[in-house]
Amino acid sequence: MAAAALAAALTLTSCYAVQDTITTVDRTDAVGEPLGDTPVREGGDLVMGLSAEPDALDPTTSSSLYTRYVMASICEKLYDLDAEGELVPQLATDLPTVSEDGLQVDIPVREGVVFADGTPFDAEAVATTLQRHLDLPDSSRRSEMGPITAIEALDATTVRLTYETPFAPITAALADRAGMIMSPTALDELGEDFGTSPTCVGPFRFAERVPQTEIVVERDPGYYAADEVHLDSITYRIMTDASIRSANLRSGDVQVADTISTQDADAMTRESGLTLLQSGSLGYQAVTFNIGNVDGTGEPPGEIDTPEAQDVRVRDAFSRAVDREALVATVFNGWFDAACSPISPDSPFSTPASEACPEHDPEASLDLLREAGVETPLRIDMQISNTPDSLRLGQALQASVQAGGFDLEIVPVEYSTLLDVQTRGDFRMLQLGWSGRVDPAANTSNFLSTGAGNNYSGYSDEDMDALLAEASQATDQAARAETYGRVVEKVQEDDPVVYLYRQRNLTGHTDEVAGVQTFADGVVRLSRAAFVADDDTVEER
Amino acid sequence: MGRYLFHRAWQSLVTLVLASVVVFLGVRALPGDPALALAGEEATPEQLAAVRAELGLDQSLPVQYGRYVGQLLSGDLGESSRTGQPVADLVATTLPVTAWLSLYALVVAVVLGVGAGVVAAVKRGRWQEWAVSTTSVVLLSVPSFWIGILAVLVLAVWAGLFPASGYVSPLEDPLRALWHLTMPAFVLGTAIAAVVMRQTRASMLETLSADFVRTARAKGLSSRRVLGRYALRNSLVVVVTVVGLQLGGLISGAVVTERIFGLPGLGRLTLDAVFTRDYAVIQAVVVLVTAFYVVINLAVDALYSLLDPRVRVDA
Repeated sequence: MAAAALAAALTLTSCYAVQDTITTVDRTDAVGEPLGDTPVREGGDLVMGLSAEPDALDPTTSSSLYTRYVMASICEKLYDLDAEGELVPQLATDLPTVSEDGLQVDIPVREGVVFADGTPFDAEAVATTLQRHLDLPDSSRRSEMGPITAIEALDATTVRLTYETPFAPITAALADRAGMIMSPTALDELGEDFGTSPTCVGPFRFAERVPQTEIVVERDPGYYAADEVHLDSITYRIMTDASIRSANLRSGDVQVADTISTQDADAMTRESGLTLLQSGSLGYQAVTFNIGNVDGTGEPPGEIDTPEAQDVRVRDAFSRAVDREALVATVFNGWFDAACSPISPDSPFSTPASEACPEHDPEASLDLLREAGVETPLRIDMQISNTPDSLRLGQALQASVQAGGFDLEIVPVEYSTLLDVQTRGDFRMLQLGWSGRVDPAANTSNFLSTGAGNNYSGYSDEDMDALLAEASQATDQAARAETYGRVVEKVQEDDPVVYLYRQRNLTGHTDEVAGVQTFADGVVRLSRAAFVADDDTVEER
Repeated sequence: MGRYLFHRAWQSLVTLVLASVVVFLGVRALPGDPALALAGEEATPEQLAAVRAELGLDQSLPVQYGRYVGQLLSGDLGESSRTGQPVADLVATTLPVTAWLSLYALVVAVVLGVGAGVVAAVKRGRWQEWAVSTTSVVLLSVPSFWIGILAVLVLAVWAGLFPASGYVSPLEDPLRALWHLTMPAFVLGTAIAAVVMRQTRASMLETLSADFVRTARAKGLSSRRVLGRYALRNSLVVVVTVVGLQLGGLISGAVVTERIFGLPGLGRLTLDAVFTRDYAVIQAVVVLVTAFYVVINLAVDALYSLLDPRVRVDA
């Protein structure tokens, strides 16, 4: 009775705190409007404050998310996302046709399009790009492409991919970097150095890159829909500090900035002259328990002698001990969403099963620890990135799980080191996230199937492996969504990874510009943006 | 003098070789893996192996060092592992930014520091000295990143007097360059100005009480002439030493200042390179900065003898 009363009191107090903060925040998605009838001023240079320096501007090798922001203006993809998060054709003309056995995927592509260097775009060019993803030794795309056995151009407008086993995630992969088609002429000339002067089909073409500073792209008059493009050029200026990005947005030195801090978001929604765009992320933030990663990822899992690796009840206890709602409310001012699974509610594969969440219940957590024969409080060290936001999260998490019988020791680690620690398996518990992809396979299989490249926890379970294989090979979306629901159930049973929250993509822009859009993949789309024509409603800056 | 400088140059060369070894081992002793920093969250073991092979990180340390020195001697600084651009190009584009910023900051530091120091010494015990000393204590105690962010908020966002970020080369457009660099240069320069001011004041007070100053005054020279021609010149030896020593601080201060004001300089290049474990860039920048520092020290030694003939040295 006393325990129930305590639990009720805890729930009540935490609910109250959550309510108190959340009511002030409007988390409705605002992905930006297309230009429509807005009167615009032709031309101009739009400056965007970019939160991280992109890596090489090469669709095959790039692994930085920020490279996608720049590439969105200069390298069109076979497919894209629309405002609803659905896949739509971009350089393709329709969704792929998949053969009965799921092994042949035919992609119809556009006619009458040219690359920025004047080379004609055709199925042969598409095949060249896709083949490069498979052949280049340091390709980051190979696993995204699946078990391909052949890529061929059937005619000028059809590309055929042949698979060993069916691979449903390919369409979504082609809506990301794998689908950015490179000019064969530029590939011949530059080879591995394609990224120094990327040439694709796009509303803009690469002009200049000043390292650590900015990347400039200029309008391409040869683009097939050039009449929809209004800006002369876009400058992506690198500004890694969130408060400095916000300051530059307010002073008008930049017109668009990505990844607005949750500390600045409240103020930004109230200020006149500024607009905040927001959408749910497809990724997640989580803690990973090391339950078998003894020799590094990709190596066979081994035995680890810690209570959390030995007994699933300990991990389950942790998952119940966390008050996710209170966590996002206190650390991120309520701007982010609590999350318990690798599949975002914004994903077309989301189901009630994939959105299920274990109840916050510190009493149950204590019971589970007792059953597991663990002495409480259980002391575990948790490695976490040393950024201010992560440290605040760590402290809030520490406070949150205390009542459930855990004594977290926070070990702040610099980001590059943390990646290394995670890969080598040199941790008991670690907090990091995943930026997320459209297809759930890329958010689950790499992390949860036995021996997978990003299986940091060293988790290995035959049933899970079978479920993940089934989900990526099925071709019917509803069937896949149902299977991913079972994947989520299974991962919540075994808890190698305990999911905590999902970020929201927060993008700010000044009202000087219109037509800025950002969808579920988080990429800020500027290619159809324009400066608003001067009139009295536009605040002078 | 010539032999002395030759001897110092020799020492400098040894310093540089040692620096190259230390930085080579130092970056490799950092926890974290450049291949992983490069491949990021998506890294798979196969991909990591491919990246390591491409960067030559799969070879033994002596082989890597041999290759690095070989490249260095042939004037090749290598390629950035992150962007694939030649390090020489990266340094060539970022160095002028830091050089202009440092030069401007130095001018700010010397003009403000020496000026305030002289005022504080001459107006000893009066309100002017009190004001100057208080300001210098404040500037010394408050971290420059805080002053920087405050400056952006007040002068750029609220007052709109200066741009919050961006850079224009003084060779392209001197006026706009001045406009862009003024806030960063003052943020960087004032911290050093505080040090210069304190040293100038102390040194001036000592000189003003020296016999030759009394003699000069007794001979009826105007107080302005006594101050400028005799007292200040004699105090400057100390000031030059301090400024020379502070140049190192200028470079490390540039790391923070460039980050706040979004200036594409060497400091930001280094910081980003450390975070992404871009070995080639870190190595090149550290060796270059060491070389610069060594040369500055040589130059300061040479300047002594110009300002004060008594310090003329022979090895």
